Amino acid sequence: MKIKRLDMFQIITLPAVIFVFLLFILMLSVYFYNALPAFFREGLDVYFKNTWQASEIPSKEYYGLAAAIWGTVYSSIIGVLIALPISVAYSIFVIDYAPKKLKNIFIIISDMMAGLPTIIYGIWGAFILVPFLQKYIMIPLYKNLSFIPIFSYPPTTGYSYFSAGVLLGIMITPFASAIIREAYQMVPFTYREAAISLGLTRYEATKILLGYIKPAIVSGMILAFGRAVGETVAVSLVIGNSFNMSVSLFAPGYTISSLIANQFGNAYIYRHMLPVLYAGGLALFIIGLIVNVIGIYLLMRWQKNVRI
Amino acid sequence: MKEYAIETKDLKIYYGKKEVIKGINLRIPKNTIFTIMGPSGCGKSTLLRSFNRLLELNMDAKIEGEVLIFGKNIYGEDVDPISIRRKVGMVFQYPNPFPHLTLYDNIAIGLKLNNLVKSKEEMDKRVRWALEKASLWDEVKDRLYEYPASLSGGQKQRLVIARALALKPKILLMDEPTANVDPVGTKNIEKLLFELKKDYTIVLVTHEPAQAARTSDFVGFLYLGKLIEVGPTKYIFEKPKNELTEKYLTGSLV
Repeated sequence: MKIKRLDMFQIITLPAVIFVFLLFILMLSVYFYNALPAFFREGLDVYFKNTWQASEIPSKEYYGLAAAIWGTVYSSIIGVLIALPISVAYSIFVIDYAPKKLKNIFIIISDMMAGLPTIIYGIWGAFILVPFLQKYIMIPLYKNLSFIPIFSYPPTTGYSYFSAGVLLGIMITPFASAIIREAYQMVPFTYREAAISLGLTRYEATKILLGYIKPAIVSGMILAFGRAVGETVAVSLVIGNSFNMSVSLFAPGYTISSLIANQFGNAYIYRHMLPVLYAGGLALFIIGLIVNVIGIYLLMRWQKNVRI
Repeated sequence: MKEYAIETKDLKIYYGKKEVIKGINLRIPKNTIFTIMGPSGCGKSTLLRSFNRLLELNMDAKIEGEVLIFGKNIYGEDVDPISIRRKVGMVFQYPNPFPHLTLYDNIAIGLKLNNLVKSKEEMDKRVRWALEKASLWDEVKDRLYEYPASLSGGQKQRLVIARALALKPKILLMDEPTANVDPVGTKNIEKLLFELKKDYTIVLVTHEPAQAARTSDFVGFLYLGKLIEVGPTKYIFEKPKNELTEKYLTGSLV
């Protein structure tokens, strides 16, 4: 009799895969199940309406997550737009230009910053960053360019999408740059030689090499976006936590995760609030899913052609 | 005085404190194939990279002496390495077309970034010219906008040759161009070398004596950073004067 031989690692690793998969399914279904009452009561309005009427009289309660969803996406996009150039520049500097002795120090610093508890960024953001941005960036921009819609909101407090976006950008930069740096370091030396041998300047050669690691940059940004979307405490300290929906950068807003964190404690007082918060959690799942699908699609399209 | 394509005067190269090229005087005539052969690690690639100042990418490398390209010292103070590299093209051991650029862009990129071509038609013409020169046009003319991944090793290497030729250099440096290419590809590339010799000076590095014998007009035998013997291919292979050369050619050099 022949017994199919199983690789030892197959036996050890399979349960881990099953476990992770089950956990994902379980979480998704728990959120979906708990959000169901909100869907039955309000339909998709729960996602597309911007309203937040908490009331002790259940019939007067009405909730919509639109502002929080908008705030999440908007502030995360700002964060990624800020993190992209900085993390690429940081990676290039650390690998190509930093003196040998300082290189590891720079790497350790940024890796450490990627792992800092986010409340540390939050406090710093609220007390240092926001007043700074308000005084030196928001007020001058508002004074001079308020006819442009994105600068049209008076930055009276400084707590805004913009502050949240900048803080998120700062928080995800070390993380994104770790991914980009690793990829950039792995570029075979022969491509650099090839570019230089064609009479290109160092700058032009670097640009070509960045093209080579484009997939790493894309996936770094996607993972960073995922982090920004999920960031809770730090953002809730600087975004203003108001149910507002605006393209104006200096207007206060809300994010899904800070909404859940802020409201969860007293949601039990109201009859219909908790399912809405679960629906918010489900929205985060969906945003994460969409972003990852886009990312994987881009990577696959790239790999299909390029195959290195 | 005769002008050589490449001439070195007491060229010494150090990696840190280690001397890897130990005082080389070499003259490479125009429109010939000159092969530098020698065992692995003897400094062939290092020597080759001093001819287009590519060695400067390695921060530890230090160069003493002179390298004259058509009579002009490229390590002189007022020399821009970029202008040298346009004149001296290079092909590498590992076929390295940029994998994320199309075949067309692989050829065009050097021209584009060096601002050597003004219009799209001129670029199309030049790309075609370079690919024809590299005997690759017929094989790729229908898929110029595909990526190099679809090419064989030998085709990739000819693409790299075309990329270098597009800049219209005078000299072509080739660092073991067939080391990662199959026999058919190797044959094609060697055939191409004969074609190119008419217009270019080719410096070929190889660790295969047989290739040196097949392709070159002159051979220099490099061993442990020293140029042991130089001469017309025929003489070197038929009557080597130096014992080391003979040992290398017979495969008994350890």
